[in-house]
Amino acid sequence: MKQLFVTPNRCTACRNCEVACSFVHTSDPTVLAFPRVRAYAISENTNTVNLCLQCDDAACKKSCPVEALVWNAKTGALEVDLGRCIRCLMCTIACPFGNIHFDKRTNEIAKCDLCQGDPACAKFCPTLALEYAEKPSPDPKPGEVKPLPPIPWMLFTGKQSR
Amino acid sequence: MHLTSPEALKRLKSQLVRQRKENKSVITVCAGTGCVACGCAAVSAAFREALKENHLEEKVEIKTTGCHGFCERGPLVVMRPEGIFYQRVKPADAKQIVEKTIKQGKVIEKLLYRDPQTKQLLTYEKDIPFYNKQERLIFGMNGHMDPTSIQDYITLGGYQALGRVLVSVHPDEVIEEVKKSGLRGRGGGGFSTGRKWASCRQAEGEPKYIICNADEGDPGAFMDRSLLEGNPHAVVEGMIIGAYAIGSHDGYVYVRNEYPLAVKNLNIALAAAREYGLLGADILGSGFSFDITVSRGGGAFVCGESTALMASLEGKIGEPRAKYIHTVECGLWEKPSTLNNVETWANVPTIIEKGADWYRKIGTENSKGTKVFALTGKVNNTGLVEVPMGIPLREIIFDIGGGILDGRAFKAVQTGGPSGGCLPESALNLPVDFDTLTEAGSMMGSGGLIVMDDRTCMVDVAKYFIHFLLEESCGKCVPCREGLRQLHEMLEEISRGEGGVGTLDGIERLCSVMEQGSLCALGRSAPNPVMSTLRYFRDEYLAHLEAHRCPAGVCKALINYSVIEENCTGCVVCKRACPAEAITGEKNQVHKINSEICTRCGICLAVCKFDAILVE
Amino acid sequence: MQLTIDKRSVVARKGEYLLEVAQRNGIEIPALCHHPAVEPWGGCRLCMVEITHPDWKGWTGLVTACLYPVQDGLIVSTDTKKVHQVRAGVLDLLLARCPGSSLIQNLARQYGIEETSFTPRKAPDLCILCGLCIRICEKIGASAISSIGRGVEKLVSVPYETVATAACVGCLSCANICPTGAIAFSESEHCRTIWSRNFELVRCEECKAVIGTPEQLEHFARRSGLDRSYFTKCDSCRNREAAARFVRVTF
Ligand SMILES: Cc1cc2nc3c(=O)[nH]c(=O)nc-3n(C[C@H](O)[C@H](O)[C@H](O)COP(=O)(O)O)c2cc1C
Ligand code: SF4
Ligand code: FES
Repeated sequence: MKQLFVTPNRCTACRNCEVACSFVHTSDPTVLAFPRVRAYAISENTNTVNLCLQCDDAACKKSCPVEALVWNAKTGALEVDLGRCIRCLMCTIACPFGNIHFDKRTNEIAKCDLCQGDPACAKFCPTLALEYAEKPSPDPKPGEVKPLPPIPWMLFTGKQSR
Repeated sequence: MHLTSPEALKRLKSQLVRQRKENKSVITVCAGTGCVACGCAAVSAAFREALKENHLEEKVEIKTTGCHGFCERGPLVVMRPEGIFYQRVKPADAKQIVEKTIKQGKVIEKLLYRDPQTKQLLTYEKDIPFYNKQERLIFGMNGHMDPTSIQDYITLGGYQALGRVLVSVHPDEVIEEVKKSGLRGRGGGGFSTGRKWASCRQAEGEPKYIICNADEGDPGAFMDRSLLEGNPHAVVEGMIIGAYAIGSHDGYVYVRNEYPLAVKNLNIALAAAREYGLLGADILGSGFSFDITVSRGGGAFVCGESTALMASLEGKIGEPRAKYIHTVECGLWEKPSTLNNVETWANVPTIIEKGADWYRKIGTENSKGTKVFALTGKVNNTGLVEVPMGIPLREIIFDIGGGILDGRAFKAVQTGGPSGGCLPESALNLPVDFDTLTEAGSMMGSGGLIVMDDRTCMVDVAKYFIHFLLEESCGKCVPCREGLRQLHEMLEEISRGEGGVGTLDGIERLCSVMEQGSLCALGRSAPNPVMSTLRYFRDEYLAHLEAHRCPAGVCKALINYSVIEENCTGCVVCKRACPAEAITGEKNQVHKINSEICTRCGICLAVCKFDAILVE
Repeated sequence: MQLTIDKRSVVARKGEYLLEVAQRNGIEIPALCHHPAVEPWGGCRLCMVEITHPDWKGWTGLVTACLYPVQDGLIVSTDTKKVHQVRAGVLDLLLARCPGSSLIQNLARQYGIEETSFTPRKAPDLCILCGLCIRICEKIGASAISSIGRGVEKLVSVPYETVATAACVGCLSCANICPTGAIAFSESEHCRTIWSRNFELVRCEECKAVIGTPEQLEHFARRSGLDRSYFTKCDSCRNREAAARFVRVTF
């Protein structure tokens, strides 16, 4: 099964992943969704992203009183059943990594769902800091030039490539 | 005594029958709730005293029995074996009865019952019309035994059906027999008892539960109470047979909290049955075990509804739930459960004892056996009557009931409890059975029969029942809770003469929503009192709405009290009685009622001896 | 198994209810007392549908979709005349009960009702007695509220209609699930108030954002089996911290 891999030393904190994530999870273009992935500049030379680890023994799932967090067997993602969710927000407090959020604007719990098996964050990461693959790819050799992915707002114009 | 086989039970019976000396005199004093209220305990005590004085304690037995049904005439005393029937007996009469009737064999006329129609004095119980039109299959035993004595019940043949079933009849055959008998539930729905048992037997899941519904919440109904008080063993035996047939080992009796005597007698019966090896582990040495727990109800009408009852038994709020999955499959604690009414259970031993073929002969095509009714209202003989299914309403009201009180005109009879319907004169010849009553817009219900005379306003009656239901609706579902609120509001309007004819259309529309939309049968049948009165007495509604009149002179906003000058003698009785001080007039002068102050309480009408008060 | 809803063939699993199956297939059935988080209840009677079956010899019945178990071959119609009549009747009654609820107003309007044809309740509140709050409170394991009284007198409250007892953890789940917004609560700088009881507020150790009441966090920690230390910070602060830790670990 494919997984999302993070390689911090490739991350430039460009936050394309956040924008992409927000875009794909938005149903009303006037209300942008809360990004499930966050990019941070930790110090001058260190950047990274943080996103849901899809823990086996997930604290968010344990804290939910109504079993609204359910495994998607196809993608391996732990998804929120928004119909079931009662907005008690305990999952957002319980996650030790802060990776499950409450989106006030949409009144929904925002959590990485691996975009149903095609995560946008990885697709739009220009440096392969985020990859959706069986295993992470090796660092590029010096001089090797990789084609840049499109910028995330292409998502709205429908022109997707790569 | 612990009986370990049906043979032992048979031997005990023969022994008891032998012991009961031939022709020994028995004074049976009814100690049903009605007679208790009339002071029967003092009567029994007086008899005991009188027998002692005459040194007859050994020769004559006093038996305090369950309700005989003729509560109107209590306290009742029947001298057996002759069957001499004394009514309204006072403690002071005991001495005379012992001296005259027992010692000299003479009948005391002043205690006999006089037929109000023929004016004849009747000596024997069997000659009294109240009894002789009845068929007392279930209630017959009541007058012959002490409900707290298991030996009395066994002497009269009790538990023999159980004994036979346990050794020689397969459960499936028991169910077949009950199916064949045509027995239908007496609790209101009229569902085939045999079919219910069969589904429960076949349902998957263990354990299975047997429940007896003794919640009896209908105002005026008290047959289940009288059965539990007067013949609890019949109900217990029925339940054990049912448990054997279905394959259940746990039984419950859910008794209304307001029935302490029923609970007491039932507990005595259960203890005795356990002692005799008829209940508990290894019943009569057959290997079959079954026991019964008594549970006291929450005191709400809706707790009589099967799913609400089960919720209440589980200790939850007594609210109904949907029955798309039947309780025979998923009932008490989500296990297969059979719930039957007290009277239904009491029919079972008789059916097994006498056979389905015998039982089928009583009643109509689709309603077999007898039904006990609580006859009340404006009728001479109120009380419990047990009649074969199919008997015309007229016979119940006029022959058994002795006609309308004070010789007034019959107007309607309400059957089926609060959510039953009101039937007019034209329906009096209808045979009483489940289907006919339903077709006529009413229902059998648990067997309430309230007779109404011409001074009853049908709008007021409908309002009364809707008010009862309004207070008893559990409030879980919208059509019932909000519908009853609005229905009551609309009827209030009509009784004030407000609203137009359109109100009636509105009522009919609302009733249809309630019938189709409500969760349980309470809400679904709640429109009955309104729909049936609208069907048969629409004119009366229209009189309120169009002419602003209440023809029966009941609805306060539409009536006026005045003095009929020609009749008034100026006796000042009404003037003194009027709590609102609305009546003026000097002694020997014609009085006047001030309509502004008058609260329409009707006291003047009740006290006037000269028919000088006019209500219109 | 296979059934037909509004002429569409849909697939269902044994043990499901009609409403779930319809919703999954995008077929809309109005429902007020239903929420997937709690057991179906059948109180509002709005989800009425008409059903029949090839084996039923033409017999049809009105049932509540939220509680009717699926059955192979069942034919369900969600918008017949009868269905419409009952739903309109129910909404008319609810509008008389809660004339001020915009949710009920909007639903009623969909069934052609602008104004109730009944007598509006005197001093109406917004509670339609759908029972969701009670059921969710029980579900989270608090059972702090219940219905009091019966019939038209019925209302939802805390025991004796006074102040919430210790059973209430102040989590606001009842207020959040209420479809009409009938459950009042307030939150100020230091205090959350619901069911007349005041709760202290616990704030994120870092950013001081409100994360709940002490009772609530305690309750959810106990209920989930997670250590109480899980419930001390808000998601944003945790997220940032975790990122830093992540970098430290990988380098
Ligand atoms: C509101 C309501 C009240 C009821 N009350 C009683 C009752 O007091 N006693 C009773 O036996 N059945 C009562 N029933 C009927 C029961 O639900 C049930 O049908 C019955 O006990 C089944 O037994 P049966 O088949 O022997 O009649 C009531 C039903 C409803 C809807
Ligand atoms: S019909 Fe009435 S009594 Fe029955 S569930 Fe609905 S509200 Fe309760
Ligand atoms: S949603 Fe089915 S009755 Fe309320």
